[in-house]
Amino acid sequence: MSVEHDTVYIKGERNVAVQNHTVTLGDILEIECSNKAIASKLKTQKLMRISGKPQTKVVVSILKVIHGIHEMYPKVEVQNLGETDLIVTYEGQTESKTMLYAFKIILVSIITFVGAAFSIMAFHNDISINKLFGHIYTLLTGKTSPGFTILEISYSIGLTIGILVFFNHFGKKNSSKDPTPMEVQMRLYEDDIQTTIVENASRKGREANVDTKESTNASWY
Amino acid sequence: MWIQKSLLMLLGISSGFTAAGGLFGFIVELGVIADFADRTHTGEKIKFYEDCIAAGGITGTILSLFPITFHFGTGVLTILGLASGIFVGCWAMALAEILNVYPIFSRRLKVVKYVGFVIVSIALGKGIGALLILFYQW
Repeated sequence: MSVEHDTVYIKGERNVAVQNHTVTLGDILEIECSNKAIASKLKTQKLMRISGKPQTKVVVSILKVIHGIHEMYPKVEVQNLGETDLIVTYEGQTESKTMLYAFKIILVSIITFVGAAFSIMAFHNDISINKLFGHIYTLLTGKTSPGFTILEISYSIGLTIGILVFFNHFGKKNSSKDPTPMEVQMRLYEDDIQTTIVENASRKGREANVDTKESTNASWY
Repeated sequence: MWIQKSLLMLLGISSGFTAAGGLFGFIVELGVIADFADRTHTGEKIKFYEDCIAAGGITGTILSLFPITFHFGTGVLTILGLASGIFVGCWAMALAEILNVYPIFSRRLKVVKYVGFVIVSIALGKGIGALLILFYQW
């Protein structure tokens, strides 16, 4: 029953936000060990101190973490079940979501609303939709289009249905539990950003590895 | 008579449906709105932004098909112009990004360090180009 031969399982997400300057292992990792004493000791173990303003990011190699654990318990086996590089973002005390936050949402919603309206109008202008509908009307009825016909009305209805179906908003409450295309796109975008941050950090050698003691914004315990 | 009417209706609905899928698939896949949401740290409001695109698309369709007139002043015009300009600007750059124009050029021409200048030049060039076209009404 030696303490030394236990296995410690760690699992970390690729993107972690911390509120305090001082980062403990428990802040950025899930830790499991059959020996509860080791697990709880490790969770409170300080890993580093992030200096600088809120939104400072430090990329931590999991090797650095394992190195730290081995310094405390030289003989435990560490199993990493999560990511190999963790992006730790110092967020500071949770920012007050007040005026600025509301302002940003209003700004983005105005831009998306006007932008979407503008793009569909530009598209209609591009294909000269009024002329095209006039031709189709003449083709099918043999008369000249008065400009405001069932064709224009049904097109608008069709477009509305198309948009709502595309964004999965039809019967928003219960018909579909799938994420909408925007949510999928948002997730993909975040993944791309995180991959880039990790790769940039390791290319510039700013990643916190076992060998590198110096990192721009973090000091180590 | 009714058969012509229903043909027209069928045509209208299906062309609207398809156009919506095409254009909005394009807007979403280019990631412009995901980009906005990420920059402003308002990612949790993404569903609301979706509603805004949907509402904008429907409004734009109605405005371009039916003769509706408003009597807005210069202030509203400025906001509308600015918003649509930002949107189209981001869209144009996202399109170029998706087509991998910059990685290819910067690799071929070995320009890696001064990417900032390149971006400013592109922005200024596009802005001046748009101004020229609109000023001279080409």
